Amino acid sequence: MSVIAPDFKLSGFIKAIINDAVWFLLIFSLIGFPIIMMILFFIPMPVIDGELLTPFLAFTYLADPTRTLPIVQAFMTTDMFKIMAFPGFGFAALLAAGTIFVERKMLAKLQLRVGPFYCGKIEGILQLAGDGLKLISKEIIIPAKADKPIFWAAPVLFVASAAAFVALIPVAPGWVVADVDMGLLAVFAVIGFFPIVTILSAWSANSKFPFIGGIRALFQMVSFEIPLILSLLGVVMVTGTLNLSEIAASQSSFPWIVFLPVGAIVFFITMLAELERIPFDLPEAESEIVAGWLTELSGMMYGLVQLGTYLKLYAFAALFVVLFLGGWNGPMIVPPFPMELATEGIELGPVTAKIGGLEPLLTQVITQEMLNGTLMFVLKTVGVIFFILLPRGVFPRIRVDMLLDLGWTKLIGLAFVNIFIALALVYAGVLGPGGLQ
Amino acid sequence: MADAAFLALTVITIGSAIAALEMRSLIYGSIALMGTLGGIAGFFFLLDAPFVALFQLAVYVGSIAVLILFTVMLVKRELIFKKIEDRRRKFAGIGLMLIIMVSLGAVFLDSGIKTITTDEPPVDFRDIGTDFVIYYWPALILMGLILAGSVTGALILARREDVENDQRVS
Repeated sequence: MSVIAPDFKLSGFIKAIINDAVWFLLIFSLIGFPIIMMILFFIPMPVIDGELLTPFLAFTYLADPTRTLPIVQAFMTTDMFKIMAFPGFGFAALLAAGTIFVERKMLAKLQLRVGPFYCGKIEGILQLAGDGLKLISKEIIIPAKADKPIFWAAPVLFVASAAAFVALIPVAPGWVVADVDMGLLAVFAVIGFFPIVTILSAWSANSKFPFIGGIRALFQMVSFEIPLILSLLGVVMVTGTLNLSEIAASQSSFPWIVFLPVGAIVFFITMLAELERIPFDLPEAESEIVAGWLTELSGMMYGLVQLGTYLKLYAFAALFVVLFLGGWNGPMIVPPFPMELATEGIELGPVTAKIGGLEPLLTQVITQEMLNGTLMFVLKTVGVIFFILLPRGVFPRIRVDMLLDLGWTKLIGLAFVNIFIALALVYAGVLGPGGLQ
Repeated sequence: MADAAFLALTVITIGSAIAALEMRSLIYGSIALMGTLGGIAGFFFLLDAPFVALFQLAVYVGSIAVLILFTVMLVKRELIFKKIEDRRRKFAGIGLMLIIMVSLGAVFLDSGIKTITTDEPPVDFRDIGTDFVIYYWPALILMGLILAGSVTGALILARREDVENDQRVS
């Protein structure tokens, strides 16, 4: 039983909801509906199939699937849908939210704690929603001597950079927000923005702990960017393209991690450092410098930075999947949709229900390849995210000199080894023209 | 559309360049410098050279500007700069800049830039790579050696000998 709301009764809750719904309907039908009609009276409506689209007809369209499904299909192919919902922000934010919950619960299990427990009846499943509500409703406190414009802009810029990173990730064949020819270079350019935002946010707070954290973040991100870029050059050499969709498509037979394991390992370690995750979480070292560069952020500003961090985590994991684990390629495990249901209709006893617009939707937009590709991609990405989360349960934080030594000498050396492996594979004819692929 | 983008980029680039020079706050000045460098990247995008544009973003905005920002943050402005207000110098500077811009513009307009056809296909970055490896390989190798030498030198310089060896784990 929850301690937070001891007087909670489900019957009372439902009663309150029904009460609200009745009041809403009453007010809407008495005030809202007439207002909508009055507005619609002045707006010229389009003529469809020789028939004037009145509001009543529009409602009828909404109830009729043969008319609605083409609209849905047209909507799903727009750029807006791609940016907002599926391969873009919504999809990534959903996975990021899942990541936060799984991280907290899994870490708790690893360390023999309970973790989120009270929000929601089952294992604290509503903890995330509760935290989100708390962050939204909290007051945003800005330090008195902070540089206000930069301080306000930094969290938004952080989320924007992370969203730009997410936009470059191909999820399924053809399902990518920005299919850039220079996808990988664009990724490098976007990664370069994170240290700027971090150090600006840290400086503008005009406080000691954020500044120390920000300088640590800058050191760490700048020094690990070089092995990160170098470790990905091997993949570019063997595929001969910078387009992320083409790189993913080139791994239909085998993923590149088979041939370039050194590059994959270097990329994974640099990824941990770029994401400021344990054992490289010096910028946010909570036992030394309060919360690092996040110390002065409060309320939804902190929430935005957290959202950006986890979007970035998803994007890096997805980049690892696209470059080394084969992206959407994998065994076809999604069964084909029974097409006769769409073409001939569903027989329910004497009645045959036929849905008109279903067939083009299923053959053009939500195809079997797209569903399977998305499933494969999500499975691999979740696996990589799991391995990113795992060190947090066991490893301590490393010292800053060890970190810089690792980045500047060992990882760069290993990245060069990876480049030579790739060159050898291409020149020996194992890969590339005449070789395996 | 391209004209509007060009105009907007021009305004951003020149405006933030002036701001970078004129801002009292060094931090805002370096942010404005970032705007200038980003605007130049935008020009490269307009010129169908995304390869150069993305490198401009990654190197200049992502690294050089960060270095400048970082250096500026560790500096107390009052300690090194004493601002001398001198209106005559300011106007002389503006006049000099105008003279240089006008003469440069005259040189550009006179150089036959108007006769260049603009509907040629954009240069593929693979062609650039092929050219580098086939025609310009001595320059490429020389460049590689110089870069390798400088990186090695930087690594040697960065090795601190004054740190006690038992403090280091590796």
